[in-house]
Amino acid sequence: MNANRMKDLKMKTLIAFAAAAATIASAASAQTVAIMDGRVHTVSGAVIENGDVIIRDGRIAQVGADLTAPPGATVIDATGKVVTPGLFAPLSSIGLVEIGAIEDANDASPIEGFPLGASLNAIDAYNPGSVLIPVNRAAGVTRALMSPSAGPTIFAGRAAVIDLSGRPNSVTRAEAAQMVVMGENGAVRAGGTRMGAWAVLREYLDEARSYHANPNDYVRRPHDGRFALSDLKALGPVINGEQPLIVSVNSANDIRTLIRLKNTYRLNVIIAGGSEAWRVAREIATANIPVITSAMYNLPGQFEDLDATLKNTARLNQAGVKVSFNEDAHNIRLIRQHAGNAVAEGLPFDAGLAAITLNPATFYGLGDQLGSLDAGKIADVVIWDGDPLEVTTKPEAVFINGRPQDLNNRQQMLMERYRDLSRGDLPLAYRGAE
Amino acid sequence: MQKFGWTALAVLMLGACAPKDGGEGEAADAADASAADAAVASNETADKANEAVRPDLDPYPSTYEPYPGETVLLTGATVLTGDGERIENGSVLIADGKISAVGAADAVTAPEGATTINANGKWVTPGIIDIHSHLGDYPSPSNQSTSDGNEIVAPNTAYVWAEHSVWPQDAGFTRALAGGITSLQVLPGSANLFGGRSTILKNVPSRSVQGMKFPDAPYGLKMACGENPKRVYGERGGPGTRMGNFAGYRAAWIEAAAYRKKWDDYWADYKEWENDDSDDKEEKPPEAPARDLKLETLAGALRGEITVNMHCYRADEMVQVLDMAEEFGYKVTTFHHAIEAYKVADYLAQNNVCAAVWADWWGFKLEAFDTVGENAALVHAQPNGCAIIHSDDALGIQRLNQEAAKAMADGRRIGIDIEPEDAIAWVTSNPAKAMGILDRTGTLEAGKMADVVVWNGNPFSVYAKAEKVYIDGALMYDRADPSLSPRMDFELGMHDNSFTGGAGQ
Repeated sequence: MNANRMKDLKMKTLIAFAAAAATIASAASAQTVAIMDGRVHTVSGAVIENGDVIIRDGRIAQVGADLTAPPGATVIDATGKVVTPGLFAPLSSIGLVEIGAIEDANDASPIEGFPLGASLNAIDAYNPGSVLIPVNRAAGVTRALMSPSAGPTIFAGRAAVIDLSGRPNSVTRAEAAQMVVMGENGAVRAGGTRMGAWAVLREYLDEARSYHANPNDYVRRPHDGRFALSDLKALGPVINGEQPLIVSVNSANDIRTLIRLKNTYRLNVIIAGGSEAWRVAREIATANIPVITSAMYNLPGQFEDLDATLKNTARLNQAGVKVSFNEDAHNIRLIRQHAGNAVAEGLPFDAGLAAITLNPATFYGLGDQLGSLDAGKIADVVIWDGDPLEVTTKPEAVFINGRPQDLNNRQQMLMERYRDLSRGDLPLAYRGAE
Repeated sequence: MQKFGWTALAVLMLGACAPKDGGEGEAADAADASAADAAVASNETADKANEAVRPDLDPYPSTYEPYPGETVLLTGATVLTGDGERIENGSVLIADGKISAVGAADAVTAPEGATTINANGKWVTPGIIDIHSHLGDYPSPSNQSTSDGNEIVAPNTAYVWAEHSVWPQDAGFTRALAGGITSLQVLPGSANLFGGRSTILKNVPSRSVQGMKFPDAPYGLKMACGENPKRVYGERGGPGTRMGNFAGYRAAWIEAAAYRKKWDDYWADYKEWENDDSDDKEEKPPEAPARDLKLETLAGALRGEITVNMHCYRADEMVQVLDMAEEFGYKVTTFHHAIEAYKVADYLAQNNVCAAVWADWWGFKLEAFDTVGENAALVHAQPNGCAIIHSDDALGIQRLNQEAAKAMADGRRIGIDIEPEDAIAWVTSNPAKAMGILDRTGTLEAGKMADVVVWNGNPFSVYAKAEKVYIDGALMYDRADPSLSPRMDFELGMHDNSFTGGAGQ
């Protein structure tokens, strides 16, 4: 869908916005919102029953019980509702893909034969007009890491943190992380073995170190052309330990190798996948590595997943590892279902909620800005009609940067068009076009 | 439909005709009888030259036998019967592998020797049924050696039978059991216009697939619409377009109708020969036509003996398929992955077709772009609407209750009155009906197989867990008892033996 068409849709969406949300929508200009008397999960601290959250100028101004709504504030009665920080999807390709199987609607990953990897930059292809954004926003997701997926090389490229407002300026942090695939996914890109994958990764890191130590000298020396200069440039913040390197690994063995590599190269590492991470939970905790995983994966699907279990995150959390959950682009909204399932398998509720709010923010150096309801933080806030980890719960209001968000979306519009199939005076295609 | 004068097949045909008229129970009874008759017929064919040739309709028969179970009274639970009823403080009595009684707690008494389980605070439902699974034919571990779900060699591979691919050692079966799955339909993949036959299994571990097969369940035929076949065959000789897909289906149905007639004519001729007591009676009986496995399956679908499971995302294609079914006189039982079912929910209901859908998967291809969370609810809301939540996935099958919960909640939000006692049908009685096994499972009714799940709370919650799963009255899974958690061979002795997988991993 092109940007203009999308803009049309968004305009119409705004106009068609339901009456129930009208009060909230009118707050867009007011900038001060008082959410009163909800059950407030700050995530950073204790739950506040009958709590209030005051939003002003895009930030959280105050959180507490028995607060007074500032004069002129839009007041939302959240009695019986639950208030949480906006959800943060820690690893996805939202913003890069519209339809998985359609080449011109999928920019997430390069095809066979393309030489570059680490230098790919997600913000270059970012489409804030993607229809996936309103769909997931309506489900309470306010931030996401938008990452390329690995093509022919082990490096996927540079990922960005975005907000889900759909606004053109919705990039929170460009180049927030680099991603590389190891384990079986790395092996198939490196001669078929894990040894090959780790060797290639070390080569890249060594080569990048060599380049960044003295770029002028490096470019003057002869090279066999195996390493694109742009990739080595892009790895600068990774070898400095400034930029997190998300490493896709699953087996306990691969994780042990990763910990050695992290210590040797002093990298800032995040594990993605980690189906067997619970087996090395203490080592992961000691190495201070977060784990982005699935709470629903429990099959020996590959030989690197033989010990996959639903209790993975509960055990990691017990050992002191910070966890989060990922889903690909279309349904990053399901990170909530992951958290709920993890809680059903023993992860404490608070840890489950933190896994999809505060933890991802801290992974990408945004822990002081996002992820919890604390005065001074960016006001990403969701008001839910029930337990936020329950599958039957939905948001009633979503704020991003303190702005109330339109919860209408393409799926909603399709449903509205077809919910009554009786023949009218005009074909169904005229419905929702007004 | 034509009538025939001989026994085995005639019974079966009558039985299979019945679902078209909505007579589910009668149909299945007849099917029961016919399978037994067919087995007899086949044995006789081998021995007696003077019998008409009748291809064995059940050459790989189920050897499943229920495991022993106690007489159990589950009492004090919230009972969802699967057919729309909810009993607070209800009881379910299981005896001899069957459901013996269901009702208010004070109305059901435990017979002598029964084990009474206080299920206060628990919820009891029929066993969960997945109409769309690839467990066993795309098992774990997933690799080239185990990838047995799609016979991607020709657009019409109606001759393959999924059961011949099912690896009973797939660990996925155990995980599904822990999610309350008691029966499932394993289908071939969707690369082909005609993918082959499905098989319906009881989720009970066995050394052989025959040991898992749901006794006397009808076979299903897997067909596929839209993008998959044309993508796979576009550069392999076609079909390369949706019109090519339809031409492929229609040509096959024409061939199948001719094949069916050839056999019907042969049996009629045989009968005539047999009854011929004139002097000039031919010495030799009429010669039987050559068998063709592909056409045998398609003819079975035309006869109504084999349910038709049509993978179809788009609304307009579903409508085309319904016309095609009328053109050739067969019935589509269920549209699978029916992302756009809500756009034609009225057509589907009028045509007595179920829509099997996901709660929220979407966007992986263009024909999956238009999903809505209310899809199942809008199908359900039609008079005679038949909504099913399916998985198509080894993880999704473990939590069909959560998927149904999401779909129910989305429907309720737009004002469709769906209670848990209604939505449970989407994963119990509706798939059972579509699979032709509703007369034996899918609801909690006296006399049915005791396929029962005890949940630790409302199953329409992310926190709900199946605590006990009974299959034919035998306790096959108990969350609290590691010895009642099956482990497949593949998982034994992995690593340091401290982790052996299994249902309760």
